[in-house]
Amino acid sequence: MTEFITAVLTSLSSGAIYALMALAIVLVWRSTRVINFAQAGQAVLTTYIGYTVIQRTGSYWLALVVAVISGAIIGAVIDRFFMRPIFKRVKSGPIVMIAPVVATLGLLGIIQAIIGFIWGLTNQSIEAPVSTGGYKVMGKVIAFSSYNLLVLVAVAIAMLLLTILFQRTNIGLALRASAYSPEIARLSGIKVDAVRTLGWAIAGASGGLAGMLYIPGYFLYPNAMDLLLVFGFVAAVIGGLESLFGAVAGAMILGFAINFSTTYISQKLFFPTAFIVLVLVLLIKPSGLFAAKKSRGA
Amino acid sequence: MSKQVSSKKRTLLFVAFGWVLLILGDRVGDLELYQGSFVATYALAITSIILLTGYSGQLSLGQSALMAVGAYAGALTIFNAGLHPVIGLFMAALVAGVFGLILGLIAARLSGPYLAGTTLALAISLPTLANQFPILGAEEGIVFDVGLPPARFGEDFSQYKWFFWISALASLIMVWFIANLLSTKYGRTFRALRDNPIAAELSGINVGRLKVTAFAISSGVAGLSGGLLVMLISGVSPSAFPLSLSFALLGGAVVTGLYNLKGVILGGLVLVAIPEIADSLVSRIGGSEGFITTLPGFLVSALLILAVVFTPNGPGHLIKRHHKK
Repeated sequence: MTEFITAVLTSLSSGAIYALMALAIVLVWRSTRVINFAQAGQAVLTTYIGYTVIQRTGSYWLALVVAVISGAIIGAVIDRFFMRPIFKRVKSGPIVMIAPVVATLGLLGIIQAIIGFIWGLTNQSIEAPVSTGGYKVMGKVIAFSSYNLLVLVAVAIAMLLLTILFQRTNIGLALRASAYSPEIARLSGIKVDAVRTLGWAIAGASGGLAGMLYIPGYFLYPNAMDLLLVFGFVAAVIGGLESLFGAVAGAMILGFAINFSTTYISQKLFFPTAFIVLVLVLLIKPSGLFAAKKSRGA
Repeated sequence: MSKQVSSKKRTLLFVAFGWVLLILGDRVGDLELYQGSFVATYALAITSIILLTGYSGQLSLGQSALMAVGAYAGALTIFNAGLHPVIGLFMAALVAGVFGLILGLIAARLSGPYLAGTTLALAISLPTLANQFPILGAEEGIVFDVGLPPARFGEDFSQYKWFFWISALASLIMVWFIANLLSTKYGRTFRALRDNPIAAELSGINVGRLKVTAFAISSGVAGLSGGLLVMLISGVSPSAFPLSLSFALLGGAVVTGLYNLKGVILGGLVLVAIPEIADSLVSRIGGSEGFITTLPGFLVSALLILAVVFTPNGPGHLIKRHHKK
């Protein structure tokens, strides 16, 4: 029984972190039709910034805020000064499909190299702000701690804020309109370019939060977030790439599938499970579980 | 596109190129031969990407996984079944091709980012599967030994020259085969599919089957290059095929020009040369450990971005455009 409870709780907390990364992928995909592989680099860079803040001030909470804000800034800067010029240059031909992917992959490499230049390659660690010792359930210690609870709460708050932003504000309306149909949005007076930069900024903030919540259980090094990116991407694809709700649902499905298969079948099934779940979902629905009914033109 | 080279002319060209390589191989040292073998191997892997992405319009991020399939198939054939290395390399291509056929059946239903995500998940999960089966040797992997060069080549015929002969010959034959394939009906239908899938379907092309075909052939080519790669590092293990290999090869393909097979050697050269350039740069200017280790990655990434921005259709395209002016 404790095994089951542990599996459920760890599924939730790992699913929550995949969800943040999946949201970052989906937000960029909706606004720009790009799979942003550089997100792993952006998130790890903001986590390094957070790490530096902790080194200077000793406060995890300040570092968390700084990381989220700098994540947003980095995201916006990348869209405005990197992606937009590339899209201007590469406009026609089949390369359009591949160019953004290659560009973000290149950017990922550059960000990771710059981190190596500045902070070196040695593993750093970030101390968790609350206890990481597991709770006791029925006299047994389980692999779920106050820290995991904090992760869940933080992600839930982030989701709530995003939902309010998207459903209750004019900015959210503009974001949804530009994602649904950029041409019509532009005609109705929305500054589509600014809105897409905003999408990148929110995605960057989400990635920064993911990094600050993920790293305290692991080590911080330039490639620390690569796997999280892959899982976030897989979760986003399961969810249908378009839908924010789908991203969260996909991340939870992935979190539960991975934790249950590693708990009950074999520890070695960590990666294969992700692949199997993805293929099963795509065999049933080739464009994910919650894909929009109408895709935008092109 | 460009004027078509007749297949007889192309064959002569390949034979001549092979002859040049043969003569060149006698003139240079072991290190250059070893590097040359890597160039040939990477060029072959890049060919598989160009075939898949450039010609049939499917973006795969999991080419390293298909290389791994070929490498394991080859190693098992040689090491466990005790068959001749040539059969081993043949099996590498064949098994990876069949694997790609199955995968292609799934892939044909997927478009753009969905396919990219699936192949990415494959690239991280497949190598770890090797740990599941004892016959694949877990983390240590299994040896891939093509044996010493035959005695009739003489005493001073080094192991490295033997590597070079095998990888260069295998790559030449395979690239020749693909180049011929692309100049037939298949090449035209591939291009039609890439440029406009809907128009292609309307003009009677079976889009699904064509995508699967491209995936299978590309996988076979990738499998052969995987077999060659583990021959050069004399063993196959999960860590020989990291995700970064897939990305580096994609970079090589972009540098080569995705729509053209003519530059694959260039792509292979770039992938081999960049770590060397970074090394010599570092030894001259020095720097911290972080700087030294990350410089090659930085250079590859910068090159990727420059290639996308300045020659999105490959260097060949750039030259052609200048000619027109």
